[in-house]
Amino acid sequence: MYLLRLALASLGNRRFTAWLTVFAIALSVCLLLAVERVRTEARASFANTISGTDLIVGARSGSVNLLLYSVFRIGNATNNIRWDSFEHFAEHRQVKWAIPISLGDSHRGYRVMGTSPAYFEHYRYARTQALQLSSGRAFTDDPFEVVLGAEVAQALDYQLDQELVLAHGVATISLVKHDDKPFKVVGILKRTGTPVDRTLHISLAGMEALHVDWQNGMPARGAAKVSAEQARGMELKPQQITAVLLGLNSKIATFSLQREINEFRGEPLLAILPGVALQELWSLMGTAEKALFVVSLFVVLTGLIGMLTAILTSLNERRREMAILRSVGARPWHIASLLIVEAFTLALAGVLLGLLLLYVGIAGAQGYVQANYGLYLPLNLPTRYEWTLLGAILSAALLMGCVPAWRAYRQSLADGLSIRL
Amino acid sequence: MSAALIQLSNLGFAWPGQPELLDVDTFTLQRGESLFLKGPSGSGKTTLLGLLGGVQQPNRGSIQLLEQDLSRLSASARDRFRVDHTGYIFQQFNLLPFLSVRENVELPCHFSKLRAARATQRHGSVAKATSSLLAHLGLHQPELLERRAGDLSIGQQQRVAAARALIGQPELVIADEPTSALDADAREAFLELLFAECREAGSSLLFVSHDQSLARLFDRSLSLAELNKATRLAEI
Repeated sequence: MYLLRLALASLGNRRFTAWLTVFAIALSVCLLLAVERVRTEARASFANTISGTDLIVGARSGSVNLLLYSVFRIGNATNNIRWDSFEHFAEHRQVKWAIPISLGDSHRGYRVMGTSPAYFEHYRYARTQALQLSSGRAFTDDPFEVVLGAEVAQALDYQLDQELVLAHGVATISLVKHDDKPFKVVGILKRTGTPVDRTLHISLAGMEALHVDWQNGMPARGAAKVSAEQARGMELKPQQITAVLLGLNSKIATFSLQREINEFRGEPLLAILPGVALQELWSLMGTAEKALFVVSLFVVLTGLIGMLTAILTSLNERRREMAILRSVGARPWHIASLLIVEAFTLALAGVLLGLLLLYVGIAGAQGYVQANYGLYLPLNLPTRYEWTLLGAILSAALLMGCVPAWRAYRQSLADGLSIRL
Repeated sequence: MSAALIQLSNLGFAWPGQPELLDVDTFTLQRGESLFLKGPSGSGKTTLLGLLGGVQQPNRGSIQLLEQDLSRLSASARDRFRVDHTGYIFQQFNLLPFLSVRENVELPCHFSKLRAARATQRHGSVAKATSSLLAHLGLHQPELLERRAGDLSIGQQQRVAAARALIGQPELVIADEPTSALDADAREAFLELLFAECREAGSSLLFVSHDQSLARLFDRSLSLAELNKATRLAEI
């Protein structure tokens, strides 16, 4: 179409401002799509933090609180669960597997979690992913063995067979160290992008051994002290744990078992469905994510307004161009269409360049983001929702193009063929 | 009846809220005629050209172009009528600098089927018509055709503008001070070429200028100041 040729040639004549405009739109489009992708991915990865677990059981508190400390290692349990309650439900006929979790110690800011070998067998994240070791093995009978999450190993540069000392409590600067009972690194897990990466895993026996000689929350002194060697010889049966992850034989039983746990007479317990609690937690954090999205929408709007400004400022200098076109037979609606075509072309070029920037950006940052934030940014074609966003941007540009088009229409009617010098 | 190309009668025009700017009893331009219209600034020259182009409408009287009363046409029909039958050459900056010479010359053929058809009929194609016209106007080199119009000298640009006005043989060529940017020698040479091409195409030429020295080259010359009663009154 001839109008397109004219519009492109005219834009080419103003290529510096045209490119600046295109670049501004491209950056805004790239930002919007990047935010959208990170947002979608963050939500998915958040929902994927724990999978396959049907119920999480802890002492009675709030469901978000229970989720936070049992899965995200944030905050502390208000109370513990007695070991016999764990045994009671672990042997329930509906329960396929039960993973005990015991928290409360830390190592240089990372949480230590006491658990059983069932953890490595049954814990799932990202739908069906099982935990995998990148080196070494899971802990076995010796209580003083530790398996590190990927981030712990990387950040603290720990190797297999290295010995480390755990600290009592979870403050970053721990006051009391369990330095009489060092642990040996026997395995390092592969990266999962979940809080597992930031956890040190020891056996429940190890957790018990650390505290076997403690009295009233204080380490024993003098003769009451139990050495690591002595502890190895003792029967290390935990008295209490912090939480339990349950897998059931049948999903249908989830609600009835949940009710049974919540009404358990032995002690006050709370059972939650991880999916529901994750949703609840996300709805708390979702506000920030929505705000980010709104901000990037406004950036796109700014880009488009920049385009509008550039076209409007050019109108006055282009009166001669319009008059020449009128003198060779262009009708006012041709002039108006020319400006709409121009706006659309700028926006389209901006969107395409924005997509290119996005893909180059993702290709470049993919590895880094996955390694550091556990987010996998896919290099796929735009989703339907993203196409809708892009379509909306182009429609907005078309709509904005009507403003200079209308002005040029009026102007060309008034100026006619006279050329103002 | 007559071979009149333009026929103005009892024409009056004023911009809204201003005194009458143009008041012409009668004015005729014959077919094939070349007319020198002396029009100093302020004589209503621009307005007259706007009326002839159908861009403005007179407050009274009639403008007939090829026996068609322009005021009876709709705005878009007037636009179409203008490009079908009129070629324009302006003082300066006639061309779209970002298009090639060829594209500039061919512009009217994109907006007027009639002129494209006439160019094709006479030369075989619009492209051939362009090359032929430019060659007649002294722009022979084929590589010039693809040059950016803005890179040409003023003299060359005016010849390209003339080729654009003439392509598709419009009945009327309106030239508004096309030579004012040229030096004296180039002026006459340009006019000779323009006359020759108008004759060849059978077009009438309405040439508006304040440079009286050129008047002798035309079939007839008129002063817009005398023609326009409105300015005469104002001067008294």
